[in-house]
Amino acid sequence: MFRFTPYLLKNLWRHRTRSLLTVSGAAVALFVFCFVGAVQEGLDQLTGDRQAERTLVVFQENRFCPTTSRLPQDYARRIAALDGVAGVVPIQAYTNNCRASLDVVVFHGMPADKLRSARRLEVAAGGWAAFEGRRDAALVGANVARRRGLQPGAQFTIGEVSVYVAGVFRSAVAAEDSLIYTHLDFLQRTQGVEATGQVTQLEVQLAEGAEPESVAAAIDETFHAGPVATTTRGKGVFQTSTLADLVDLVGFARLLGYGCLGLVLALVATTTVMAVQDRVRQHAVLETIGLRPGRLFRLIVAESVLVCLLGGVVGTLLALAALEWGGLSVGVEGITVAFRPSLHLSALGLLISLLVGILAGVIPAWQTARTRIVDALRQG
Amino acid sequence: MALVEIHRLTKHYRKGDEVLTPLDDVDLEIDRGEFVSLMGPSGSGKSTLLNLLAGIDRADSGRIVVNGTDITQLARGTLADWRAAHLGYIFQTHNLVPVLTTYENVELPLLLLPMSRAERRKRVALALEAVGLTDRVSHYPRQLSGGQEQRVGIARAIVAHPAIIVADEPTGNLDAETSGQIQLLLQRLNAELGMTMLMVTHDADVAAIAGRQLRLERGKVLSGAPAEEPREAAGGPAGSGRPHFANPQADDCPQGFE
Repeated sequence: MFRFTPYLLKNLWRHRTRSLLTVSGAAVALFVFCFVGAVQEGLDQLTGDRQAERTLVVFQENRFCPTTSRLPQDYARRIAALDGVAGVVPIQAYTNNCRASLDVVVFHGMPADKLRSARRLEVAAGGWAAFEGRRDAALVGANVARRRGLQPGAQFTIGEVSVYVAGVFRSAVAAEDSLIYTHLDFLQRTQGVEATGQVTQLEVQLAEGAEPESVAAAIDETFHAGPVATTTRGKGVFQTSTLADLVDLVGFARLLGYGCLGLVLALVATTTVMAVQDRVRQHAVLETIGLRPGRLFRLIVAESVLVCLLGGVVGTLLALAALEWGGLSVGVEGITVAFRPSLHLSALGLLISLLVGILAGVIPAWQTARTRIVDALRQG
Repeated sequence: MALVEIHRLTKHYRKGDEVLTPLDDVDLEIDRGEFVSLMGPSGSGKSTLLNLLAGIDRADSGRIVVNGTDITQLARGTLADWRAAHLGYIFQTHNLVPVLTTYENVELPLLLLPMSRAERRKRVALALEAVGLTDRVSHYPRQLSGGQEQRVGIARAIVAHPAIIVADEPTGNLDAETSGQIQLLLQRLNAELGMTMLMVTHDADVAAIAGRQLRLERGKVLSGAPAEEPREAAGGPAGSGRPHFANPQADDCPQGFE
């Protein structure tokens, strides 16, 4: 098969404009597909995180945006005393935009010791010492840092919050790369005097063997008659319900991604059909000198696969580069979904290119391989 | 024993409601090293016979045995393998692959055979030398004249050292002078290299270069007798068996090509 590689490449080069346009089309489609895939992966990771299954989020009842949920901080102490609770982390959240946005900035204020124990952060630049040593210090997620061009030592202001960038971190949970962590009391004070002693939410870590539903019910029951009633849900459920609108949008975008693949299929198939029609006689000559029909079939499919794979590689690489360097995320009501490149996504992009290439080439190749040589020789 | 034995070969075509029979119980034998020309009016079935012998068309009945193999019994893939190893085909319209150089066009049939790159290079060089095109190795078909293109086509047909070469109107698209050069080349390949050939033509002068001339009419081979001494064709002395060559390049043909 490889002996015919120069023949295959030269045929593509001969119609280089057509080949280039097809490769570009495939690249654009795979770019879109991978991009949408990255959003879906980010969403899946957020809602299906193993740790999220063992964590509850306590929010003020009937409140959805972090700017409107206000819980007394001492609820943490009372929740910690309940059965099945291993720990409670008070979190003050602040966001520049409660609506769905591609450039949402979300601050989470947490006690430093709790931040260190409850989050799996790898501080890539700067350090914990710098964070712990300053009241207005912030650890900035890698995505935000990249998007906003932040580096350790920089001062960053958004709205009424102004922080000193003590470090840039990467998290095992992709969505956290789009967060900025500050000290809890610092963020509370930036919200005004009345915010002191209040938090947006409480994050409850469950003890081994504890039933999430029963613990959540116990928490809500405890504060049912209190000054502020609560709604407690699993972290995954909380994030899913908060992102419900986004889930639908991402689902729709995913359909568009599949639509793009359909377009590539049509595009590459059209190119292959045109290439085959141009060379009906040439293929008959190849068969006359002894090329087996099966080999001719494979040769045509290989041409289609090559074009599609080339476009797929370019599109996938561009998507991975954009995801890696763009630091993009989408957020709604303080919950962010990170778009992060992954090995799985690259493999999927290449696999799909391969499959689309094969599918696009099969029918023209089959028709060519079945054409009678004498009939084909009379054409052209 | 003849190299080619065609026995009771019949081929029908359907044209609307009419059934045409271009070949009707045809019998023919071609000896090893023989050069046979086949003439006949348009639609007489000469190209059909050539295509059946080349294994690119199927007969309705009858047998074609080449070098002991009944090719009518071979499956499509096996028949392709047989063509690669045993058949050289010279087309009227050259049919070179436009994206490939002279060298690559000639090398094509060898890519289908189990052969090392060095062996392929050697064989292509010999074939190009035989047709006098060693100075056009890197040229593309569009950079060649009609005669040169046909010589590349001939080199492609002989490069695998096939048992038989079939030529379908090999001079049909060429001017008189170039046609003469190609006729000489074919004669020489037959006379000096002992290549067995069956050539279809409608030109009596071209047919005359063959050692035996046949005619096909109404589905039958009408004449199978050896031809009289060939008439002078394009400067070649009549019936010499070892013609002189007008093309000085062609005189460089290596001895013992096979």
